[in-house]
Amino acid sequence: MKVLDANKLSDLAAALAAAGYRVVAPVRDGREIRVQEWKPGAAIDTSAVPVNSIKEFLFPRCEVIARYRLEGDDFSPEPVATDAPKTAALAVRPCDAAAMVILDKVFNPGTAGVPWPDGWEYKDDAWNARREATTIVPVVCTAADQDCFCTSVGGAPDATAGADAVLRSADGGRKFILQPLGPKGQALVAAAGAVLAEGDAKADPPAQVPVRFDAKAVTEWCGGNFESPLWREVSLACIGCGACAYCCPTCHCFDIQDEATRTESVRLRNWDTCGLSLFTLHSSGHNPRPDQASRWRQRVMHKFSYFVEKFGSLACTGCGRCARLCPGGMAIAQVCKEIDEARKAAVK
Amino acid sequence: MEIAEALRADAARLLAEGRAKLVIGYQARGPHRAPAFISDPAKVNVLVYDNLCKQNLAVYLRKPEVRLKGPVAIVATPAVMRSLMVLAAESQLTEATVLAVGKDAYHGVLDLAGAAALLKEKYADLAPEPELLEALAKLNALSPEARARFWTGQFAKCTRCYACRAACPGCYCQRCIVEKNVPQWVSAAAAQHGNYAWHVIRAFHQAGRCTLCGACEAACPQGIPLMLLNLALSEEVAKRFGEKPGYDPAAKPVVGSWKPDDDQGFIR
Amino acid sequence: MAHTESKTTEPATGFQPRIVAYVCNWCTYAGADLAGTSRLRYPPNVRIIKLPCTGRIDPLFILKAFEGGADAVLVSGCHPGDCHYTSGNYHARRRWALFRRLLEVTGIDERRLYFSWVSAAEGRKFADLIADVTEKVRAAGPFEPANPARRQPWK
Repeated sequence: MKVLDANKLSDLAAALAAAGYRVVAPVRDGREIRVQEWKPGAAIDTSAVPVNSIKEFLFPRCEVIARYRLEGDDFSPEPVATDAPKTAALAVRPCDAAAMVILDKVFNPGTAGVPWPDGWEYKDDAWNARREATTIVPVVCTAADQDCFCTSVGGAPDATAGADAVLRSADGGRKFILQPLGPKGQALVAAAGAVLAEGDAKADPPAQVPVRFDAKAVTEWCGGNFESPLWREVSLACIGCGACAYCCPTCHCFDIQDEATRTESVRLRNWDTCGLSLFTLHSSGHNPRPDQASRWRQRVMHKFSYFVEKFGSLACTGCGRCARLCPGGMAIAQVCKEIDEARKAAVK
Repeated sequence: MEIAEALRADAARLLAEGRAKLVIGYQARGPHRAPAFISDPAKVNVLVYDNLCKQNLAVYLRKPEVRLKGPVAIVATPAVMRSLMVLAAESQLTEATVLAVGKDAYHGVLDLAGAAALLKEKYADLAPEPELLEALAKLNALSPEARARFWTGQFAKCTRCYACRAACPGCYCQRCIVEKNVPQWVSAAAAQHGNYAWHVIRAFHQAGRCTLCGACEAACPQGIPLMLLNLALSEEVAKRFGEKPGYDPAAKPVVGSWKPDDDQGFIR
Repeated sequence: MAHTESKTTEPATGFQPRIVAYVCNWCTYAGADLAGTSRLRYPPNVRIIKLPCTGRIDPLFILKAFEGGADAVLVSGCHPGDCHYTSGNYHARRRWALFRRLLEVTGIDERRLYFSWVSAAEGRKFADLIADVTEKVRAAGPFEPANPARRQPWK
């Protein structure tokens, strides 16, 4: 098996960079760990879940999708080339890798074996170009915190969904095993070259992540409780920002905006969030989700009810970023737990 | 723990007596502190108070779902009480019931006037943390080009989640300037000049109103040092106009008012 | 009548600063008109935008000018006590004092942002002001392309 010393992740990154990969990895930046483009000298830090996910490298925060020039009376479109460099997402989280499989269902329907009943045909070229060009290498989690809940939503600290290769901590944290899981992973291992040694190591046990709630029960409850007063109670702390949606590896809503000067115009696809009141505001002034309770209901139901119904899986991988970063102390796992308890109480 | 016990006792009493229909305080959620919304006197035991309780709870006072509950009593640190003073001065609040907590003290149940008196008496000299003052001094010592590079790097992290706006009790516009698109004054994209404009406008809309509570920087999921902007403006307000917002519930707005002898040395 | 000349423009070589001037209708704009009717020359680098009052000038206007790549912004209006709307310039004065500091701390300093009071009778002051500001901005050089306030090309 391919093995490297635990403190040599930067050497691995350097070898991949030399082989032509853009390397993105979790890097310590002040008080935060941030997934960002790795530059020589940057310390890769896998000690905690980063504040962001790899989502933004496949689905950027803002992206030009059309471009026009205006010269005199001549209005002409210009070609837009998708920026899709060969990328290695190194030492990221298994929950991030699993999230990309979920996003594939939206941006590249038909690939995940789920038939889309209404004839959804649109394939997002930008997403697919980047997805093709990206090799995802999560590191199996040997530690978890109280906000992790991958095991409650069908995941696990050592799950390999979405992974092209996987790094496993071994020999008491002194080494990593790099295990390829397909052609992209094999290409990455080959590119790593001499940084990886052939050898033996004993994989460390993955983290223990207790199940916090019954996701199937939540899905079932959501189906029949759209008007429940519980939504208002569980969402009181929400202050209505987009921190959760933007750090979430599966949230994918976007807004289209045009920005123009006198001579050129770009059409942009920007991240958007259902947490903001503006999200569903009609130009008439009517807002079908007029309060934070209805917006929270949307958040939970999109991930635990509508996505299950349309795509056959939950749209949450239990990474816990929303809970760590919420300025209002909200946690979707906590809300699901309360729903689970409400359901149990009602059934009695 | 004494403070928490006193809080719980008073919270239960206020609810039982009907003086409040909802108590807003802090509870523990694992290693975090989250807001607690208590309507039942039997549930006050979830209330905690320690130095992790930093969120500015005053934001909840203008939330419609909270207002619907009826009269509210709020656990208020000096930072929260100062926010209440600003809101009162701007006619967003006419009254408040406050369970006033200080650094290591509980000051009991107060109304708005009582909270104002307490602030003047015991918390008139609240100063920013030394690390923040030092960080601003370092920033000031840079050349303008170096400062511009610093902020380019910081604003590049911004995803325009508006957590800073949502966490600030002073940001309560129904429709924020960034949400106006006729015309689109500020680019909505999380990039470049839009991020710069957003942060400058946000800080400027707090000029003379910001109490340096730190909620915005604490809320930022990307760790952008927003307090540097707030502190720079706050110092300028104090230096030029001698004002320190958040003490007088009837104060005139700093940017909305003027004196004939306001300094104009910078105007040719 | 003697032909009065104020400072002339530089020859059209080298860096030509682009300066946006937000001015009030009743004082500074009239003062600029007077400079014109008095045949006082001033550099053509300034683009004048007329508003009813300096009190109307939103800090966003200043940001917009820098966004578009202006090398400097000038804001000018009635002297205190002379505002056509009585107190618009007093409000503006406070606003500018604070906004100026905010721009300074974020990397746009006093070489790029100017404020003045110019009355309708001060045609010469206007001409001299523009000439002086233009020279100062020329010496400061173009507004840095990488400044975070500037619109960057969309990738």
